[in-house]
Amino acid sequence: MSALADTFSNFVVRQSGARSARVIQFSKLSGGAIQDNFGLTLELDGGDRPGRQEFVVRQDAPSGVAESLSRPEEFRVLQAAFGAGVTAPEPLWLCEDAEISGRIFYVMSRASGTASPRQLVKGDLTEDQRRHLVRRLGAELARLHTVRPPMDSLAFLELPAGNNPALSRVALYRRYLEEIGEPHPVLEWALNWLEDHAPEPGPTALCHCDFRTGNYMVDGDELTAVLDWEFAAWSDPCEDLGWLCCRSWRFGGDDREVGGVGDKNDLLASYREVSGADIDPAAVSYWEVMALVRWAMIALQQARRHMSGEQHSLELALTGRMVAQMEYDLLNQIPELEEGQ
Amino acid sequence: MINEPDSRDLLTEARQVLLDSLVPDLAGEQKYQALMIANAMGMAIREIEQRAQGEPEATDRSLSQFLAGHRLPDAPSQGEQTLARALRDRRLDGDDPELRSVLKGMTEARLRINNPGFLK
Repeated sequence: MSALADTFSNFVVRQSGARSARVIQFSKLSGGAIQDNFGLTLELDGGDRPGRQEFVVRQDAPSGVAESLSRPEEFRVLQAAFGAGVTAPEPLWLCEDAEISGRIFYVMSRASGTASPRQLVKGDLTEDQRRHLVRRLGAELARLHTVRPPMDSLAFLELPAGNNPALSRVALYRRYLEEIGEPHPVLEWALNWLEDHAPEPGPTALCHCDFRTGNYMVDGDELTAVLDWEFAAWSDPCEDLGWLCCRSWRFGGDDREVGGVGDKNDLLASYREVSGADIDPAAVSYWEVMALVRWAMIALQQARRHMSGEQHSLELALTGRMVAQMEYDLLNQIPELEEGQ
Repeated sequence: MINEPDSRDLLTEARQVLLDSLVPDLAGEQKYQALMIANAMGMAIREIEQRAQGEPEATDRSLSQFLAGHRLPDAPSQGEQTLARALRDRRLDGDDPELRSVLKGMTEARLRINNPGFLK
């Protein structure tokens, strides 16, 4: 570990123009099956960022997932989001030379606080603090969604087929089900419903696509960083809003629609204030249904990784058994939406 | 052949020892792993119990009746495959209450094993 710390420290010295650096702290951070994250605290002598600096180094883990972005792509997405004013870790330096640490990596600033859903959802935030946080989430998404195609630096992101993110998702998930080769009538039924009820697509924008409680850091009641950008894509802004509100991501705070934290009205009001865009709540509800299907797809794929022997894991195996929960939510939520129409 | 205590009993006792004697002394990643093991054992126990109560045959019978009523071919253990295919091919009306009831029955049967606390 200390050799790796020196490698990263030397890289930061070169990039920042510092005279030297002293490693104060270096450790592997939890989370992330797709990539390894390291916390690196340095005392830098001179250069662009003199003094004590806290960084996160993010590099590919030995087992990658094909669906997610590479580190260089993720770095460019982070640059675009940060440039649009999103509270994300500041992307500092990308190292595409795999000779240096053995893998491609990048360095970003480290945010304070915790991303733990339990602490946030079950924590002792007041109603005002919850509302404040939910409004921040709306504002962050509104800023992110100002990033629109085409963008040269994001040319690796494909545009949704037919310029219709919802229908292209439906087609993609049907392909996934074919590949998985296991019958899932509830998911087929839900995909038919999603095909038949697709709203008019909104503007295509840069979407985080995993924007949920657990993937943003909070210090007190302040949001300090939106994390985990590896699934970013051009999509309908309502996909991010729907994913954030999906029942699967409320961590026991079921009556608080926005990630178990607060109310959807506050989220959409703040989104409107920052973006000027009036979001149709029905479109968000539609994308919440899509989110349940997407999470079911991810869970099925994770279970396959275990069952195929590619990666034996109790956690992946148990995730496979969660699919019935998403199916149950679909069977309840779709009729609720129909009744509300 | 009688071989007692039976597997349900063994699993139940083993799970209880894990939860009562071992988990309290664990923390962090190890505690998380132990709770996952208890969760997996709970599913296995409930699967044995559900089998004793006539599952999955009862749920399969409802599905077979639905398929027969809609003139869809049915073969042992192929019911879900047939239903999934018929939905993909748009041969069924998604609004049909009978269809929704069959889908719900299958899902609830799985949840009674995987996570009964999720059922409302």
